[in-house]
Amino acid sequence: MNPLICYQVVAVLLLGLGLYALVARRTLIGMLIGVELMLNGAGLSIVAAAQLTPTDAVLGQLGALLVMGLAAAEATLVLAIVLVISKRFGDAAADTPRELKG
Amino acid sequence: MNEMYLGQFAFAFYTLIILAGGVLAVTAPSLVRAMVGLVTTLFGVAGLYLLLLAEFVALMQILIYVGAVTVLIFFAIMLTRASADGGEAEGPGLRGSLRAIPAFLIPAGTLVPFLALCGVTGFDRPKDVSPAALGAGLLGPYTLAFELISVVLLAAMAGAVLLAFEKRGAK
Repeated sequence: MNPLICYQVVAVLLLGLGLYALVARRTLIGMLIGVELMLNGAGLSIVAAAQLTPTDAVLGQLGALLVMGLAAAEATLVLAIVLVISKRFGDAAADTPRELKG
Repeated sequence: MNEMYLGQFAFAFYTLIILAGGVLAVTAPSLVRAMVGLVTTLFGVAGLYLLLLAEFVALMQILIYVGAVTVLIFFAIMLTRASADGGEAEGPGLRGSLRAIPAFLIPAGTLVPFLALCGVTGFDRPKDVSPAALGAGLLGPYTLAFELISVVLLAAMAGAVLLAFEKRGAK
Protein backbone atom coordinates (compact mmCIF):
# COMPACT_ATOMS: atom_id res chain seq x y z
CA MET A 1 0.00 0.00 0.00
CA ASN A 2 1.51 3.32 -0.96
CA PRO A 3 1.84 6.19 1.54
CA LEU A 4 -0.72 8.49 -0.08
CA ILE A 5 -3.52 5.93 0.33
CA CYS A 6 -2.50 5.28 3.96
CA TYR A 7 -2.83 8.99 4.79
CA GLN A 8 -6.15 9.21 2.96
CA VAL A 9 -7.50 6.21 4.89
CA VAL A 10 -6.63 7.93 8.18
CA ALA A 11 -8.42 11.05 6.92
CA VAL A 12 -11.50 9.00 5.99
CA LEU A 13 -11.51 7.42 9.46
CA LEU A 14 -11.43 10.89 11.01
CA LEU A 15 -14.36 11.88 8.80
CA GLY A 16 -16.30 8.80 9.92
CA LEU A 17 -15.59 9.41 13.60
CA GLY A 18 -16.72 13.02 13.22
CA LEU A 19 -19.95 11.99 11.51
CA TYR A 20 -20.56 9.42 14.26
CA ALA A 21 -20.14 12.10 16.93
CA LEU A 22 -22.38 14.50 14.99
CA VAL A 23 -25.21 11.96 14.97
CA ALA A 24 -24.69 10.29 18.36
CA ARG A 25 -24.03 13.28 20.64
CA ARG A 26 -26.88 14.91 22.50
CA THR A 27 -25.29 18.26 23.20
CA LEU A 28 -24.17 20.99 20.83
CA ILE A 29 -20.64 20.93 22.23
CA GLY A 30 -20.33 17.19 21.59
CA MET A 31 -21.42 17.81 18.02
CA LEU A 32 -18.84 20.61 17.72
CA ILE A 33 -16.14 18.12 18.75
CA GLY A 34 -17.29 15.90 15.87
CA VAL A 35 -17.05 18.81 13.43
CA GLU A 36 -13.51 19.55 14.59
CA LEU A 37 -12.56 15.90 13.97
CA MET A 38 -13.96 16.10 10.44
CA LEU A 39 -12.14 19.36 9.68
CA ASN A 40 -8.88 17.77 10.86
CA GLY A 41 -9.47 14.87 8.51
CA ALA A 42 -10.01 17.35 5.68
CA GLY A 43 -6.78 19.18 6.47
CA LEU A 44 -4.81 15.97 6.66
CA SER A 45 -6.24 14.82 3.34
CA ILE A 46 -5.38 18.12 1.63
CA VAL A 47 -1.80 18.21 2.90
CA ALA A 48 -1.17 14.54 2.08
CA ALA A 49 -2.56 14.97 -1.43
CA ALA A 50 -0.40 18.04 -2.04
CA GLN A 51 2.82 16.70 -0.53
CA LEU A 52 2.78 13.28 -2.19
CA THR A 53 1.62 14.14 -5.73
CA PRO A 54 2.99 16.57 -8.36
CA THR A 55 0.47 19.23 -7.22
CA ASP A 56 1.80 22.56 -5.99
CA ALA A 57 2.78 21.84 -2.37
CA VAL A 58 2.41 25.50 -1.34
CA LEU A 59 -1.23 25.43 -2.43
CA GLY A 60 -1.91 22.36 -0.28
CA GLN A 61 -0.27 23.68 2.87
CA LEU A 62 -1.96 27.06 2.54
CA GLY A 63 -5.26 25.26 1.97
CA ALA A 64 -4.80 23.40 5.25
CA LEU A 65 -4.05 26.71 7.00
CA LEU A 66 -7.25 28.12 5.48
CA VAL A 67 -9.21 25.15 6.87
CA MET A 68 -7.72 25.87 10.31
CA GLY A 69 -8.76 29.52 10.10
CA LEU A 70 -12.29 28.55 9.11
CA ALA A 71 -12.40 26.05 11.99
CA ALA A 72 -11.39 28.77 14.43
CA ALA A 73 -14.06 31.12 13.09
CA GLU A 74 -16.68 28.38 13.22
CA ALA A 75 -15.74 27.41 16.80
CA THR A 76 -16.09 31.06 17.89
CA LEU A 77 -19.55 31.36 16.38
CA VAL A 78 -20.72 28.01 17.76
CA LEU A 79 -19.49 29.05 21.21
CA ALA A 80 -21.57 32.22 21.03
CA ILE A 81 -24.65 30.32 19.81
CA VAL A 82 -24.25 27.67 22.55
CA LEU A 83 -23.96 30.43 25.15
CA VAL A 84 -27.15 32.11 23.94
CA ILE A 85 -29.05 28.80 23.82
CA SER A 86 -27.92 27.70 27.26
CA LYS A 87 -28.87 31.05 28.76
CA ARG A 88 -32.26 31.10 27.08
CA PHE A 89 -33.26 27.46 27.48
CA GLY A 90 -31.26 26.32 30.49
CA ASP A 91 -29.04 23.68 28.89
CA ALA A 92 -27.11 23.05 25.69
CA ALA A 93 -28.71 19.80 24.49
CA ALA A 94 -29.32 19.77 20.76
CA ASP A 95 -33.07 19.12 21.00
CA THR A 96 -33.82 21.72 23.68
CA PRO A 97 -34.59 24.64 21.32
CA ARG A 98 -37.25 22.76 19.41
CA GLU A 99 -39.97 25.38 19.61
CA LEU A 100 -40.07 28.30 17.25
CA LYS A 101 -41.15 31.73 18.36
CA GLY A 102 -44.46 32.72 16.81
CA MET B 1 15.96 1.22 4.18
CA ASN B 2 16.24 1.66 7.91
CA GLU B 3 14.61 5.09 7.87
CA MET B 4 11.79 3.66 5.75
CA TYR B 5 10.95 1.30 8.61
CA LEU B 6 11.26 4.16 11.09
CA GLY B 7 8.80 6.17 9.01
CA GLN B 8 6.33 3.29 8.91
CA PHE B 9 6.68 2.82 12.65
CA ALA B 10 6.07 6.54 13.25
CA PHE B 11 3.04 6.47 10.95
CA ALA B 12 1.56 3.49 12.81
CA PHE B 13 2.26 5.17 16.15
CA TYR B 14 0.57 8.46 15.18
CA THR B 15 -2.35 6.60 13.62
CA LEU B 16 -2.83 4.68 16.84
CA ILE B 17 -2.79 7.96 18.81
CA ILE B 18 -5.32 9.50 16.40
CA LEU B 19 -7.70 6.54 16.54
CA ALA B 20 -7.49 6.15 20.34
CA GLY B 21 -8.08 9.86 20.85
CA GLY B 22 -10.86 9.91 18.28
CA VAL B 23 -12.71 7.00 19.87
CA LEU B 24 -12.39 8.67 23.27
CA ALA B 25 -13.62 11.99 21.83
CA VAL B 26 -16.64 10.32 20.27
CA THR B 27 -17.72 7.91 22.99
CA ALA B 28 -16.66 9.44 26.32
CA PRO B 29 -19.66 10.08 28.58
CA SER B 30 -18.06 13.21 29.98
CA LEU B 31 -17.46 16.15 27.67
CA VAL B 32 -14.21 17.09 29.39
CA ARG B 33 -12.84 13.60 28.74
CA ALA B 34 -14.04 13.87 25.14
CA MET B 35 -12.02 17.08 24.86
CA VAL B 36 -8.94 15.29 26.19
CA GLY B 37 -9.46 12.72 23.44
CA LEU B 38 -9.80 15.52 20.87
CA VAL B 39 -6.53 17.10 22.03
CA THR B 40 -4.81 13.70 21.70
CA THR B 41 -6.15 13.37 18.16
CA LEU B 42 -4.98 16.87 17.27
CA PHE B 43 -1.45 16.07 18.46
CA GLY B 44 -1.51 12.87 16.41
CA VAL B 45 -2.55 14.78 13.29
CA ALA B 46 0.26 17.26 13.97
CA GLY B 47 2.64 14.30 14.06
CA LEU B 48 1.38 13.14 10.69
CA TYR B 49 1.95 16.66 9.32
CA LEU B 50 5.54 16.40 10.56
CA LEU B 51 5.90 13.06 8.78
CA LEU B 52 4.62 14.76 5.61
CA LEU B 53 7.42 17.37 5.97
CA ALA B 54 4.81 20.09 6.51
CA GLU B 55 6.37 21.32 9.72
CA PHE B 56 4.86 24.80 9.49
CA VAL B 57 1.36 23.32 9.25
CA ALA B 58 2.17 21.00 12.17
CA LEU B 59 3.20 23.92 14.37
CA MET B 60 0.12 25.90 13.32
CA GLN B 61 -2.01 22.87 14.12
CA ILE B 62 -0.65 22.83 17.68
CA LEU B 63 -0.84 26.61 18.00
CA ILE B 64 -4.34 27.14 16.57
CA TYR B 65 -6.16 23.92 17.39
CA VAL B 66 -4.56 22.79 20.64
CA GLY B 67 -3.83 26.31 21.82
CA ALA B 68 -6.92 28.21 20.78
CA VAL B 69 -9.85 26.11 19.57
CA THR B 70 -9.78 23.56 22.40
CA VAL B 71 -9.47 26.31 25.01
CA LEU B 72 -12.49 27.95 23.39
CA ILE B 73 -14.48 24.70 23.61
CA PHE B 74 -13.38 24.23 27.22
CA PHE B 75 -14.77 27.70 27.91
CA ALA B 76 -18.02 26.67 26.23
CA ILE B 77 -18.24 23.57 28.44
CA MET B 78 -17.40 25.57 31.54
CA LEU B 79 -19.88 28.35 30.84
CA THR B 80 -22.83 26.19 29.85
CA ARG B 81 -22.83 22.94 31.70
CA ALA B 82 -25.55 22.50 34.25
CA SER B 83 -24.38 19.09 35.48
CA ALA B 84 -20.94 17.56 35.95
CA ASP B 85 -21.06 15.59 32.71
CA GLY B 86 -22.38 18.33 30.43
CA GLY B 87 -25.53 16.38 29.57
CA GLU B 88 -23.86 13.43 27.84
CA ALA B 89 -24.02 10.95 30.73
CA GLU B 90 -26.87 8.83 29.43
CA GLY B 91 -25.14 8.28 26.11
CA PRO B 92 -26.76 8.08 22.70
CA GLY B 93 -29.03 5.17 23.63
CA LEU B 94 -29.88 2.23 21.39
CA ARG B 95 -31.71 4.25 18.74
CA GLY B 96 -29.01 6.89 18.70
CA SER B 97 -26.34 4.25 18.19
CA LEU B 98 -28.37 2.60 15.44
CA ARG B 99 -28.52 5.93 13.66
CA ALA B 100 -24.90 6.81 14.36
CA ILE B 101 -23.16 3.59 13.35
CA PRO B 102 -24.18 3.94 9.65
CA ALA B 103 -22.87 7.51 9.80
CA PHE B 104 -19.46 6.02 10.51
CA LEU B 105 -19.76 2.96 8.27
CA ILE B 106 -21.06 4.62 5.10
CA PRO B 107 -18.07 6.95 4.46
CA ALA B 108 -15.59 4.34 5.69
CA GLY B 109 -17.23 1.54 3.74
CA THR B 110 -17.53 3.44 0.46
CA LEU B 111 -14.44 5.66 0.40
CA VAL B 112 -11.85 3.15 1.62
CA PRO B 113 -12.61 0.51 -1.08
CA PHE B 114 -12.79 3.34 -3.61
CA LEU B 115 -9.32 4.48 -2.53
CA ALA B 116 -8.00 0.92 -2.67
CA LEU B 117 -9.42 0.44 -6.19
CA CYS B 118 -8.70 3.75 -7.91
CA GLY B 119 -6.31 5.55 -5.58
CA VAL B 120 -3.49 7.42 -7.29
CA THR B 121 0.01 6.16 -6.59
CA GLY B 122 1.80 9.01 -4.89
CA PHE B 123 5.48 9.65 -4.26
CA ASP B 124 7.30 7.65 -1.62
CA ARG B 125 8.75 10.80 -0.11
CA PRO B 126 6.92 14.07 0.52
CA LYS B 127 8.15 17.27 -1.08
CA ASP B 128 10.09 19.70 1.06
CA VAL B 129 8.69 23.23 0.99
CA SER B 130 10.30 25.93 3.09
CA PRO B 131 8.18 28.34 5.17
CA ALA B 132 9.70 31.12 3.04
CA ALA B 133 7.97 29.61 -0.02
CA LEU B 134 4.70 29.55 1.96
CA GLY B 135 5.11 33.21 2.82
CA ALA B 136 5.87 34.06 -0.79
CA GLY B 137 2.72 32.16 -1.79
CA LEU B 138 0.59 34.09 0.73
CA LEU B 139 1.87 37.42 -0.57
CA GLY B 140 1.90 36.35 -4.20
CA PRO B 141 -0.71 34.18 -5.91
CA TYR B 142 -2.90 33.53 -2.84
CA THR B 143 -3.27 37.05 -1.44
CA LEU B 144 -7.01 37.13 -2.03
CA ALA B 145 -7.59 33.97 0.04
CA PHE B 146 -5.40 35.39 2.80
CA GLU B 147 -7.38 38.65 2.91
CA LEU B 148 -10.71 36.84 2.73
CA ILE B 149 -9.89 34.60 5.69
CA SER B 150 -9.04 37.69 7.75
CA VAL B 151 -12.41 39.21 6.84
CA VAL B 152 -14.13 35.93 7.79
CA LEU B 153 -12.34 35.87 11.15
CA LEU B 154 -13.25 39.50 11.81
CA ALA B 155 -16.90 38.83 10.93
CA ALA B 156 -16.96 35.74 13.16
CA MET B 157 -15.50 37.69 16.07
CA ALA B 158 -17.91 40.58 15.62
CA GLY B 159 -20.79 38.15 15.27
CA ALA B 160 -19.84 36.31 18.45
CA VAL B 161 -19.63 39.53 20.44
CA LEU B 162 -22.95 40.69 18.98
CA LEU B 163 -24.70 37.40 19.84
CA ALA B 164 -23.41 37.37 23.41
CA PHE B 165 -24.39 41.01 23.99
CA GLU B 166 -27.80 40.68 22.38
CA LYS B 167 -28.93 38.26 25.08
CA ARG B 168 -27.79 40.46 27.92
CA GLY B 169 -29.60 43.47 26.43
CA ALA B 170 -32.82 41.49 25.99
CA LYS B 171 -32.82 40.44 29.60
